[in-house]
Amino acid sequence: MSEISATPEIKNVRDFVRFFIRELKPRGKIFTPFNVITAPIMLLGLVLIVYRFAAGLGAVTNLSQEIPWGLWIGFDVITGVAFAGGGYVVAFMVYIIGGEKYHSIARAAILSAFLAYVFYAGGIILDVGRWWNIVNPMIGREFGVNAVMFLVAWHFFLYMVAAGLEFSPAAAEWLGMKRLRKILASLTLGAVIFGIALSTLHQSGLGALMSMAKGKIHPLWYTEFIPVLFFISSVFAGLSVVIFKEMICHKVFKEQIDEEHRKSFPDIIVSLGKICAVVMFGYFFLKVMMFVHDRNWPYLNTPMGYWYLTEIIGLVLIPCFMFVHGAQTRNLPLILTASTFTMIGIIMNRLNYVFIAYNWQIPVFEKYYPTWMEFVITLTIISVELWVYRWCVNRMAVFRKPPEWAIEKH
Amino acid sequence: MDRRRFLQIMGSALAGATGGTLLTPRTSKAQEASKHREFYGILVDTTRCIGCRRCEKACAEVNNLPIPDISEQTNETVLQNIRKTTDTQYTVINPYDTEKGKIFVPKRCMHCNQPGCAAACLVKAMKKRKEGHVTWELNCMGCRLCMISCPFDIPKFEYDKAIPLIQKCNLCYGRFLKGLAPGCVEACPAEALMFGTRRKLIEEGKRRIAQNPGKYVHHIYGENEVAGTSHLYLSAVPFEQIGFRMDLGTTPYPEYSTGFLYAVPFIFVLWPIIMLGMSRMTKKGGAEEHKEATGHGEEKKQGKG
Amino acid sequence: MEGVFTFYDIFATKGIEYLIIIAFLIIIIAFWKFVNMRPY
Repeated sequence: MSEISATPEIKNVRDFVRFFIRELKPRGKIFTPFNVITAPIMLLGLVLIVYRFAAGLGAVTNLSQEIPWGLWIGFDVITGVAFAGGGYVVAFMVYIIGGEKYHSIARAAILSAFLAYVFYAGGIILDVGRWWNIVNPMIGREFGVNAVMFLVAWHFFLYMVAAGLEFSPAAAEWLGMKRLRKILASLTLGAVIFGIALSTLHQSGLGALMSMAKGKIHPLWYTEFIPVLFFISSVFAGLSVVIFKEMICHKVFKEQIDEEHRKSFPDIIVSLGKICAVVMFGYFFLKVMMFVHDRNWPYLNTPMGYWYLTEIIGLVLIPCFMFVHGAQTRNLPLILTASTFTMIGIIMNRLNYVFIAYNWQIPVFEKYYPTWMEFVITLTIISVELWVYRWCVNRMAVFRKPPEWAIEKH
Repeated sequence: MDRRRFLQIMGSALAGATGGTLLTPRTSKAQEASKHREFYGILVDTTRCIGCRRCEKACAEVNNLPIPDISEQTNETVLQNIRKTTDTQYTVINPYDTEKGKIFVPKRCMHCNQPGCAAACLVKAMKKRKEGHVTWELNCMGCRLCMISCPFDIPKFEYDKAIPLIQKCNLCYGRFLKGLAPGCVEACPAEALMFGTRRKLIEEGKRRIAQNPGKYVHHIYGENEVAGTSHLYLSAVPFEQIGFRMDLGTTPYPEYSTGFLYAVPFIFVLWPIIMLGMSRMTKKGGAEEHKEATGHGEEKKQGKG
Repeated sequence: MEGVFTFYDIFATKGIEYLIIIAFLIIIIAFWKFVNMRPY
């Protein structure tokens, strides 16, 4: 299982199809706990997705006139995209500032980010009410260039292209296409730079979507600098997910990881932890500054105030110090815990903007909570994404070293 | 491509651009600003509304919506509660108990001068027409950002349909193009609704206040709120008592997003140049970077400088 | 004139701004190659 198939000879489309079909065969055990849990979820999810399209959003979700965006936009899309931030941050570290030490995790981070955009940003099609018009921002009759959403939509698409390009050399290696690989590799720097600019703008853009909800978002969360907060938090959100996924993958795919990578792993995790700590520390101070500037003192001693403190102290400042301590003592499990808390904090932060601190003053019976169907469909999307991720990792050089002919000479 | 060729291309591009700009007519900022638009709207005089709900019925008839029952008995029950507009009701009458007795207030789309919903729409399905009406069209994607961006929470979505629409008052744009007044205005027996250009409505509002200073609060709601709306209100009591938000400010809602939107071109220019610089500063950015930067392969590294 | 709202379209230049960005990104690639060239 740790050996990739020998470099295939693909000379035409028929070869490719045959190769691809062969590669679709599952590897390893079929009845793993992960498979047994996710397979029925995905089947049920598929049924629910068909039902959603047939019967409309109201049949499957608890969205309302007061709360038009819920779990799918708040968690799948907005949080999912924040979590995918690891792709552009790691790409920046490896390709722009030459952090060779992180090279071994680059492909996994970029693949994760690419798939995250395909499935979570792509998953938007489930949430838009008139989904057949989803191509309108691209090829419709009118372009709403005035809209933040226009930018976000285009960026999601362009970033999928950029991240796909960044990962494509690995796919070319898998197909044994040497010249194609060389061409794609030469595009990497451009794709990385483009991807980072895109990411900066759509991570902040997701925050900017809420700028016109002034007066409906609780003052402790609303600020003219929401885009800045979203961008900065996407850095440590993405890196926390990278840490989380790496630590899990190191167990799950351990036979693919060579000795050199295994030895450098603790250094990488500790470094990522330190970066998270520093960025989170800065982020916390930004929130303090905005709090003081907006004179939000009276709001602290209220239920929403306590919730706000839970978020920024319990789920930002405390994990920040967990990262610090974990890095100082090289305690990988503590860093993993810090990542988990950080991820929860990001989820809470994004959901606050979408339906918790948004229209927070409406009576309890009007408040939104997701239906079980929304949860199942969300889990379905995540499961499918993880299945595809696993498929790629098992066949391409994501954790493994690339084939001999592909390794560049410095 | 060598240096001479590059400069040739740049030179001709520059010449073309300069020639192009000299030939196209330009409107200066001042000229642009002086393009007056006369928006149409409705002045609602809440001292005249009797709560008969005939406007609700007329609106439903005109827009093919379910006709509400407005018999006196039904009205007694219905007018006990504050209602919101819905995906089947573009306008509702709400009752408020105030120091001057019961006041009825019609609620519908405010047709803002600078609507947040139109600024939010990525396919221009929500538009501010040049006559002032804010309308919705079928190229909508159903993303519902307009609902989030409206300070008055007006656009409503048809969650229970597989082919949903966004529903809200469109100031009877279709009727307007045929020279007719909005359905609600025509149906009102108490002349509480007046339809006309915004300029005339505000002049009328000020005239009524000046002629009856004791009867009205000296404020037209919508004159300056969120940079002005085309749906305007007069009231006998302070507006907060009849369900109006007084904390919306006078900044047009779209301006809350323009700061970010202007930062976009800056980032797209600055990030690439900073990152290109950084990738050069650090000697190794990976072998791909070498190939990309030198442009013509590895052979240059041998021997020459 | 009371009530005249002078409509200043704050988004009038947005379309052109996006086109300028696209033009810039294309030109910067050529420019970067030019900067790194050895003169012949």
